[in-house]
Amino acid sequence: MASSIKIDSALPVFSGEWSAEGNFVSHAAISAPVNRKLEPLGPHFLAHARRKRHQRTFSEDDR
Amino acid sequence: MSDTQEVESGVVIGIAFGNTTSSIAYTSADGKPELIANEEGDRQIPSVLSYLDSDEFHGGEAKAQLVRNHGNTVAYFRDFLGKKFSEIDPTNAHNSAHPIDAEGKVSFSVVEKAGKPAVNITVEEITARHLRRLVSSAADFLGKPVTKAIVTVPTDFTEAQRAALTSAALDANIQILQVIQEPVAEALAYAARDNFQTADKVILVADIGGTRTDATVVAVRGGMYTILATAHDYELGGVRLDATLVDHFAKEFIKKHKSDPRENQRSLAKLKLECEVVKRTLSIATSASIGIDSLCDGYDFHSTINRFRYETIGRPLFDQIIKLAENVVSKAEIDLLDIDEVILAGGSSHTPKIAQRFESLFPNCTIHAPATETTALNPSELAARGAAIQASLVSEFDVEDIDQSTHPMVTVAPHLSKDIGVVIVAADGTETFQTLLPAQTAMPARRAAEFNAPAEGGDVVIKFVEGGSVIKKEIIPPAPKDEDDSDDEEDEPEEVKSKEMKVEKLLAEALLKGTEKGQKIEVTVQALEAGELNVTARIVGTQNGVRGQVKA
Ligand SMILES: Nc1ncnc2c1ncn2[C@@H]1O[C@H](COP(=O)(O)OP(=O)(O)OP(=O)(O)O)[C@@H](O)[C@H]1O
Ligand SMILES: [Mg+2]
Repeated sequence: MASSIKIDSALPVFSGEWSAEGNFVSHAAISAPVNRKLEPLGPHFLAHARRKRHQRTFSEDDR
Repeated sequence: MSDTQEVESGVVIGIAFGNTTSSIAYTSADGKPELIANEEGDRQIPSVLSYLDSDEFHGGEAKAQLVRNHGNTVAYFRDFLGKKFSEIDPTNAHNSAHPIDAEGKVSFSVVEKAGKPAVNITVEEITARHLRRLVSSAADFLGKPVTKAIVTVPTDFTEAQRAALTSAALDANIQILQVIQEPVAEALAYAARDNFQTADKVILVADIGGTRTDATVVAVRGGMYTILATAHDYELGGVRLDATLVDHFAKEFIKKHKSDPRENQRSLAKLKLECEVVKRTLSIATSASIGIDSLCDGYDFHSTINRFRYETIGRPLFDQIIKLAENVVSKAEIDLLDIDEVILAGGSSHTPKIAQRFESLFPNCTIHAPATETTALNPSELAARGAAIQASLVSEFDVEDIDQSTHPMVTVAPHLSKDIGVVIVAADGTETFQTLLPAQTAMPARRAAEFNAPAEGGDVVIKFVEGGSVIKKEIIPPAPKDEDDSDDEEDEPEEVKSKEMKVEKLLAEALLKGTEKGQKIEVTVQALEAGELNVTARIVGTQNGVRGQVKA
């Protein structure tokens, strides 16, 4: 999970005025998520269950 | 762990419990799932028990008794388990022991001991006996006691059915650690083959069995599985394909001998068994012969059929399978183009024509089936393999651990309803959407991706966006044609569909100043359970970065 995928494309160049205060500006929340059931099998689910049951985050889990 | 401990705790095996056949599997010391052959050498063990002269026969030996001892032969009972008599469809048991109503419970009346009156055996008890035979075959093979199992069932198995299965197993001294869904076990078998890569994809699993066909759309996100839709056809499967061959050969027999082998129980049973063999032969050969001595009225029967003929008479059933697949995709509210991979499971998936039909429906997908992928796994083995993989993953767990992990508190999670990604610039300068977290990803989830800095360097804006795929339909007009064949169907305009990612909402922007040509920019997005989105962007190998949060 910690590894990043490589994408051979560029990010857009910024030109013009940056009106926000810092270098980050938030515009809108993500669309409302839907509750669904994960199938409780496979190694990745078991890792999810372990994190969830022990209230751990991804980075704590990586350690 | 020492050897003695392992013997004491017993091995956990995987069991695929089908209406028609069952299989058992374990995970070998080198981590590979392997099917186990029973004493007869079968890896696909008919789910059949038969009683004759006070002996109990199981599997292939029991199935063979459908000809001479059908009344004491119990077959196709899995789907009766955990149901009231009033809820079952007894059609499949027409030519074997009939299910009867014993105080609401589904039972079979069979002569279990020679010379004694028939007794009622409940479907729970039959299941317990079947599981006991499977587990004892596994223990014989492994040379170790087997006490625990992971068992696969169809997605429409109710809580009551699961409970009945678990309690039947306990009667046979087997502890079922987990009852899992067939299509997910089948997907897991392929995931294990591919070393559990975490590529996001949407899979269609079509499980084409003996008495039924089940289709399931599964979203795979970061190696986790979410079922988006299921569809079932309880009158579609190998038995129906056998029946088309039975009808074909019966007609031939009638022409020659003026008698219908389908009207006599024993002749029909013989013909059915032989037609199943013919059908299997046609999965690997282009023609097959059939020979039955004294089929009916004392006449022998010999004939051949080629694959093309079989595919012609089987066509309505192949159409029905394809319809079910289309139906489940539309139930999932996605397009056929959204399916990335097709897994064909179940014994009937050996049929080349079925795999080819899926290939035409999904021209851009890998169709995992023997006829369309040389490295395909055996479709008859997928469920058992998946169960064996899960068995090895939880073999050290106790029941409490498993119960907690499978509790809705853990399994029910908010899933993204839209794709989340960033805007990128394609080689031709146009801006497009790059998905990082696709819709149907369970939260919390995190993804990271590395992009190029602009060719000329400079300040970069990372636009975090939400969106989804849209299907574009293009009508290609028919080519100019002669007047004569104007009523030819081929001349209708052709509709070509393609998929495109569309930005629907700008969520946030981050400014990353002073990038240089050739640098890489790492972007991460993390969707938290409460709906917040944490994002970062950083020039790889530098301290230069931005982070921010989009509130829910
Ligand atoms: N090589 C083959 N070619 C064609 N059909 C085959 C082949 N091998 C097995 N079958 C058919 O597959 C069917 C059994 O499928 P499977 O083992 O998946 O059964 P199941 O899951 O127990 O079935 P059910 O749908 O009744 O629950 C039988 O009809 C059998 O004839
Ligand atoms: Mg099946």
